[in-house]
Parts: sequence; C-alpha cells; structure tokens
Amino acid sequence: MSSIVDPIKEGLARGWKVLGGKHGPLPTSLDCDVVIVGSGAGAGITAELLAKAGLKIAIVEEGPLKSSSDFRQLEADAYAQLYQEGGGRKTADQAMPVLQGRCVGGSTTVNWAGAFRTPEETLNYWVDIYGLKECGAEAMKPWFEQVEARLNISEWLTDPNANNSVLRRGALKLGIKAPTIHRNVKGCWNLGSCGLGCPTNAKQSMLVTTIPTALDLGATLMVQTRADKLELKGNQISGLLCQPVHADGSHAGPAFRITAKHYVVAGGAINSPALMMRSGLPNPNDLLGRRTFLHPTVASSAVMPEPVQGWAGAPLAVFSDHFLRTQPIDGAIGYKLETAPVHPGFAMTNLGGMGRTLVDKAKTFPHTSILIGLLRDGFHPEAGGGVVELKNDGSPVLDYPINGYLLDGARRAHLSMVEIQFAAGAKSVRPAHEQAQDYQSWHQAREAILALPYEPYITTIGSAHVMGGCAMAATPAQGVVQPDGQHWQVANLSVHDGSVFPTSIGANPQLTVYAQAARMATGLAKRLTERDVRLDSPAVPASAASAA
Amino acid sequence: MKRRSLLKLGIASGVVLAVAGGSLALLKPGLLADGKLSPAARQLMRAVALAVFDGLLPAEAAAREARLAAHLDQLDANIAGFPPHLRGELSQLLSLLTSSGGRFTLTGLTSDWASASVADVQASLQAMSLSSLGLKQQIYHALRDLSSLVFFSNAASWQLVGYPGPREIP
Repeated sequence: MSSIVDPIKEGLARGWKVLGGKHGPLPTSLDCDVVIVGSGAGAGITAELLAKAGLKIAIVEEGPLKSSSDFRQLEADAYAQLYQEGGGRKTADQAMPVLQGRCVGGSTTVNWAGAFRTPEETLNYWVDIYGLKECGAEAMKPWFEQVEARLNISEWLTDPNANNSVLRRGALKLGIKAPTIHRNVKGCWNLGSCGLGCPTNAKQSMLVTTIPTALDLGATLMVQTRADKLELKGNQISGLLCQPVHADGSHAGPAFRITAKHYVVAGGAINSPALMMRSGLPNPNDLLGRRTFLHPTVASSAVMPEPVQGWAGAPLAVFSDHFLRTQPIDGAIGYKLETAPVHPGFAMTNLGGMGRTLVDKAKTFPHTSILIGLLRDGFHPEAGGGVVELKNDGSPVLDYPINGYLLDGARRAHLSMVEIQFAAGAKSVRPAHEQAQDYQSWHQAREAILALPYEPYITTIGSAHVMGGCAMAATPAQGVVQPDGQHWQVANLSVHDGSVFPTSIGANPQLTVYAQAARMATGLAKRLTERDVRLDSPAVPASAASAA
Repeated sequence: MKRRSLLKLGIASGVVLAVAGGSLALLKPGLLADGKLSPAARQLMRAVALAVFDGLLPAEAAAREARLAAHLDQLDANIAGFPPHLRGELSQLLSLLTSSGGRFTLTGLTSDWASASVADVQASLQAMSLSSLGLKQQIYHALRDLSSLVFFSNAASWQLVGYPGPREIP
C-alpha cells in the first residue's frame, strides 16, 4: 500500500459526479449550461473557470479516469492505457509517431512537465500575421502569471539529472546558453516518470488541479465517452451526440445526447478539428484541420564515460533556444534542444536498429544520453504542417508529409546535438538515422552526417507536440475561430485548446494552452454570466450563482 | 516521394497479390476474432523477434522459447489495447505478410516465416528498412517498432539494459 494519498479516490468518495466506464452508467440524455469536450490543458482550465462562474458544466472525456494509485511507472501499462490509440497513433504515412494523452487530464497527465511561456517572437508573429493583438507579449503576461500561480510553475531548482547535465555541459563549452526549465510541480520526488503518469501527484496536471476543482463545484465528468458529433441547426449547435466506449475505443453502449447553451471543444489538436469535420460544420475557407503542427523531433544518443541512468530524475531540466534565436523565424527551420527520458521501451525503440546494434545499445544503456531537437514548423511556406483527414469509421489521421525543408533541419539539428555531446565528453555518438553509425569524434561524425542521405523513414523523426488545425485569427479568411475562441460561423461554439495555435510555437505548449484557455474562458464566463472569475480566486458564492 | 499509408494497403495488397498470382479472397486475417495473433501471424512475429533480438534472447533453448512465448503473449495484450481501426489495419498487414505471395513480394523472403533463418529475416528486414519504397519501410517499422516497444517495456528485459526498474514509493 503506497503512502501517497490519491486525491481522485478521495474526490470520488466525497461524491463527485463521475459517470462512464466503471464509474456508473451514462445518462440517456443530459442538459447543462456548457459542455466541454476533453479534459486536458484547455478543457481543464475552462472547466475550473466556468464552474467558478456558477455554470452547470459537463466534461466529456474519451479516455479513462486513472490516478496516482494506478500509475505504476511502467511503460508496459502507460502507453497502452494513457495515450491516444493505445500509444499507436502515427501520421498517415506512418513516418512519425504522435504522442498525445487520452485519459482524464489529457496530455498534461503524461507530459514531461516543461512549462514555457510562449516565445515572444512567436507571439509577435501571431500579432503581425494573424492580427491577434490580444496575444501580444504584454497582453499575455497577466494570463501567464495567473496560470503560473495556479499550477505552481517555477524554475526547477534541483540539480539536473546526468542526461540534462550533458546538454548543459556541452552547450556551455561551445558558448551556447542552456538555461534551466520551469516546471509545474509541487513537492516533486524527482522520479523521472512524468511520461508514465505522476505516481506522487506532484505534477500539477489538470488531473489533480482544475478538474478536481470543477468536480468539487458540481461539474459532471463523463469518462470513456467519445464526443461523436455536434448537431448543427442554423448557425447554432443544438446538441452533442456522445458514444460510450470501452478502453480500446470500441462501442460500449447506446449513444446519448447532451444539450447545452454553449459548447466548448477542447479535445486537443487532431481530435478537435476531427469532431468538427465529422459534424459537417461550416468551413467556408477550407481551414479546418489544416496547418496542424507537430514540432517534428530528431534525436541523437551518446555513450558517456560516466553513468547517466537517464531514466532517473526530471526528464526535462535544461534546454537551449540558441538554434531558434540565431536565425530569422521564417528562414531555414529553427530547432529547440531538449533531452528525452531514457526508459528502455521508449529509447530502445526510437533509437532504431536490430541484432548487433541493439546488443551494443543494451550494453551501454546506463551510460546513454539522449538529446532531442524540436523543429519549429509553421513559419515558412515549406513548413505548412499536416492535414487532418477522417477514416471510414470517422476516426482522424494526420497526413503530414516530411519534405526537404524539414529534413534539412533534421540534419542541422543532428550536427548541433552531436557537437554538444562530444563537447560534453561523449565517447561515441550516434544520431537516430537508419544509416548512421557510432561515431568516435566530432570530426568523424560531422563528415558522416554531411554525407548521409536525409530522406523520410531512414531519418528517424518523431513528434513532440500537436498544435493547430482550428487556427484563431482576426479575420475568417485566416482562422476557424475568432481571437476569443468563438467559432467564426457557429454562434454557440468555442475552441479552447492547442488546435487554435496558428503556427507551432517553438516551445513545449502546455503553458501556452493554459494561458490562452484562461483568456478565452474568462471572457466566455463574462459573456454567459456577467461574472468575473480567476484561477487564483475562489468561486462565486453558491447563492449568487443560483441567481444566475 | 512515396506517401502511401497502411490504410491504402487494401489497394496495395490487391496489386501485390495480382503480381504474386494470388487473390484477396484467399487471405486469412492476421488477427483472430478475439484480437489475438493468428497462428501464422504468431510465427511471423516470432521470426521477427528472433531476428531483431538476436543476441539478447536466452541462449538455452527452453528459456529462449519461454521468453519468446511471453513476448508473443505480451504482443497480443498490446494489440488488444489498440482501437478497432488500428487492429484492422494490422490484421490486414499480417494477413498479407503471411501469404506466400505477399511475403515474397514485400519482404523478399523465399522460405516461410517458420523456417526462415535468423540471418535471412535480418537481411530481409535490413533491406526493407533501406528500401526506396515507402510501403516497405512502413512495414519494417510496423514490425520492428511494435516488437521493440513490447520487448523492452517488459520487466524480463530490464536486466539486459541495466535498468533497475522504477524507484519504489514507500
């Protein structure tokens, strides 16, 4: 029996209204003020703020409700239970895996707890190109501050683990800045298992913060429930058809209908545009599902003389934006450097190889350091991202071709990471590429990387963050939703998640989603109730709320 | 650039079989009604495991067979967690690869999966991984990556990589 108190079990015992899966039968119909699709970063913030405004809300989540007592820090459990498509989601041509959470808390339950304010150059670009004056750095500052206070986001003061130390040491030696990351944690045990669900409730994900607050204020959470279709009547949504599902996503009972005054779609990029596509919502400028971004990600592994044990300790502690900042945002693609947790399943799979190669990797595994380079897509005509398509069964798939522009970035990111790893003292380095070898020196690696063919598939490319597909913009010609999240064509529909980003952002997106959702949901609460709500203030008293 | 998806395997498999002189109607699904690997698909995934994890499996025959059996059972469990559409695509792929025409056309293997040598399967996978055909590279990754994730996520493999397992929480 673990000493950790599970706040979700306690909440359920207090009488939270949670339905679906093992939590009791779903209703045949339900009426509320606002229904929120999803329970991740955008949905969680929205749920708390709208519940605080006294609104009767329902949250619809396709995944299961899992909590600290379920999180055993095991790869064998986590990918299958907590990620989209049982961990098997990939782009249409299978070239890039797509990691997204599918559980209460969404990706915030399984992310690596890196919290960055949106880079200023990204916000400036949004203002200049998409007319989003609400998103300027000054205008966003109070939203970041509010969210940071709510989720305990602050600089990580514990020493970085050995994997992150490689990045810091190598970068400093080359005169490259590698600052410390901010994290959304409280009493972190430094276990390194963030990606498998935090077993100590230290990570301030939506699962342990905003969703519990909303449930304590009387919200209804429906889990293992897929938002199947929004019903459109004139320019209004008249209902949301929901499909109960089993853990594997197959049907688990009759569909039912939720009616609400307002509908907030926050199922995350890919899923949110897919719901709107399935529903046949107006899309006059053919923008829905387009410009979906991934931060395509390349990796390089190094064998260090010292033990690294990259499975232990905060997976993200140090980063470098040097290669984002030293060139124009709309020139050759820039990349952010970070580290990845070195768990056996994840690392041995993503670093590629078989037979002899795997045997060698297994031997040096405890000394292995992994750096990753996240390509900043969306700022250049050759980096237009992917397009969400629907399969015959209505489920989405992202068609995201990998082109020469991205592959040029992959090569340059490999070069940067390899140079840093050798500068940090690596004995050998191998970029993740089917034709790469273990290189013994920076000179040898550089010559080899410059000669390697950079083509799809043989260049190992993953993806880090899914963004876009329902862009916000100041005009309907450029956006699916207005700057406040309101759909341009449908009156009572908003989108509050990472799908509203008009480009990728060049940073881990959770804090950007939180801040945008806080801005949008505060405005929505005001429009619907005339009330002012904040994440760092208590709810409007019940008596005032019932008078609404 | 070739951007074919496994989704389009339905069409691709028709072409492959026409070339190989077979027929779609004769194919058996790669996954059984209960979602588990069919006997033929199990042979295939066993051959892939022997090739990919060559040098990492127990040397002693009985222990090796036990490890392989556990691996294949774990594959079944993982696949069971995939959504129905993904299981359908995988079933179709495995079905094609366990037909003699599909196997030869896509992997170049002349002998069936059960009798192919480790060296032959390795050579075939290696060639697929570097193929100029996107479809072959997709199949390589589908087989290799799924096998690898399941194999190394299993506690039985941790000592191979010096991973002590998660830190205990008192």
